[in-house]
Amino acid sequence: MKREYVTFVRKLGDLTEGKQTLFIKDLTPGPRKYDTKLVRAELSLSPNKLPTGDSLWVRSETGYLHPRPWAMSILEELPPHVTGQPWQDVFAALRLLK
Amino acid sequence: MPSVDLRDFIAALERSGDLVRIMKEVDWDMEVGAISRRVFEQAGPALLFEKIKDYPPGYSILNGPVATWRRVAIALDLPPETSVRQLYAAYEERHQKKIEPVVVQSATCQENAMIGPEVDIYQLPAPMVHEGDGGRYIGTWDIVITKDPETGWTNWGTYRFMIHTKDLLAGWPQATSHLAVIMKGKYLPRKQAMPIAIVIGCEPLCHMVATDPYKLGEDEVAYAGGLRGAPVEIIQCKTNDLMVPARCEIVIEGELLPDRIAIEGPFGEYPGYRSGTMGEGVLVQITGITHRRDPIITLSTLGIPPDDSSIAASLTAAIAMKRGLKRHGIPVTDVYVPPEGVTHLVIVGVEHGGSKVAREVLDYFTARRVMVSKVIVIERDVDVFDMNQVIHAFSTKCHPGRGITLEHYEGRGNALTPCYSSDERRRLKGTSVVFDATWPEDWEAEAIPIKASFKTTYPESVRQKVLANWESYGLGGKP
Repeated sequence: MKREYVTFVRKLGDLTEGKQTLFIKDLTPGPRKYDTKLVRAELSLSPNKLPTGDSLWVRSETGYLHPRPWAMSILEELPPHVTGQPWQDVFAALRLLK
Repeated sequence: MPSVDLRDFIAALERSGDLVRIMKEVDWDMEVGAISRRVFEQAGPALLFEKIKDYPPGYSILNGPVATWRRVAIALDLPPETSVRQLYAAYEERHQKKIEPVVVQSATCQENAMIGPEVDIYQLPAPMVHEGDGGRYIGTWDIVITKDPETGWTNWGTYRFMIHTKDLLAGWPQATSHLAVIMKGKYLPRKQAMPIAIVIGCEPLCHMVATDPYKLGEDEVAYAGGLRGAPVEIIQCKTNDLMVPARCEIVIEGELLPDRIAIEGPFGEYPGYRSGTMGEGVLVQITGITHRRDPIITLSTLGIPPDDSSIAASLTAAIAMKRGLKRHGIPVTDVYVPPEGVTHLVIVGVEHGGSKVAREVLDYFTARRVMVSKVIVIERDVDVFDMNQVIHAFSTKCHPGRGITLEHYEGRGNALTPCYSSDERRRLKGTSVVFDATWPEDWEAEAIPIKASFKTTYPESVRQKVLANWESYGLGGKP
């Protein structure tokens, strides 16, 4: 069954198709809704390219919700954090993982 | 005597008609937030949500403990109808009193415990406060406790914390906060984790002290005792050596990690917008959670004023600023932080004005970390608490050319200033402005415009006559 997730980006243009490492929040209803995972995933704007994929909603740094979800296929779940110092830009740290 | 704990305060609010218990089941996922926000925007009562979807009976959420001046008055053990001016005076009178805390060996806040691998923050009904937030915020109206390992200084602050996973929290104490000063100065150079305790659900004066910008090195717990007129009982955490208020509802114990980070935010914040810097927070490994039986989470559904932040900070920030301005030799009479200005706007009253004094006021506000972007300086003829008078003075006495002075800075600005660009927020770059609504110091008395008001343009004899005869004019009401 398809699951729904949400991710946050500074700008929609920061997200690209293909393999990405990103933090996602699980939108499955229940007391653990919004639990965070760090995953390596295949992303596509077109659901047809990832027919068994999940839905990934995208919000900006102000929480603005982009109207169309992406398709996402999780390849690997990683420990839910990245290397970095407090107050460092987490997106810059994520880019170092690629 | 102020309330001994949150439940005592809830009972006081109930007696005065300032609290509503909501017994219908509500969803922690935005429904609690939506109800709370609606009630804030009507300046309504504190809300105790007693039945939360997915959670056991008895687990509850209290929104808005001090989000009205009436509730601040009750917290200070004053009559609910006490005026804002009187509340400021009462707080100022108690502001510098210190009563050292008392250590106890057992406490109701440790009736239940999850330690180490048992930790599961999802056992508590943390709300998804606003649609579009980065996650569920367990820390909105909290006291975050950290300690300088060399001096022993224990800092209390109010910082937001979001659930990341069952045993990790992501938070965003600003990079210029006292918490950040300790972490950056004492723990990061040694690559050590910093012990931390996030305390939820104290009696309200402890929370108000945590929002008060006391100076670096000052133990807020002693000032909380002074404000209450009785010592705060404290107890050691189960998994670190931090001391926490024993009569609170919930303690989340943990370590702020020096070498791991995760996404945090965004969050609908105290200026009334979802702004700030998303993704530049800190990560806390939870080592233990203790709580009272049937714990109560204190919540402030932040947003446009009024809410707990805009009301409490109006008081605590203003008194701290007044002391600071006096310390810097500025002839300040009073400071008012209007809740509608969400601490971005401050009114400073001075004995005598002029551009030099206005400049000194601006220098004070921009010398270190800068939380205020707009300051209006007024003279004695204007009541700082009366915004009608303040707007009149600003509109008429502030010269649009000479009366406005700007100060630009970088690395110490307030990233939660909504009008700053994303780049400015990340670089903590900002600008503060002082509006000098005082007469220039070099104007002769005969050149200063006379205010055309009842008080200032009629002789004393005429005013007395009018007041004495008021009723006989058939006008009624108060003269």
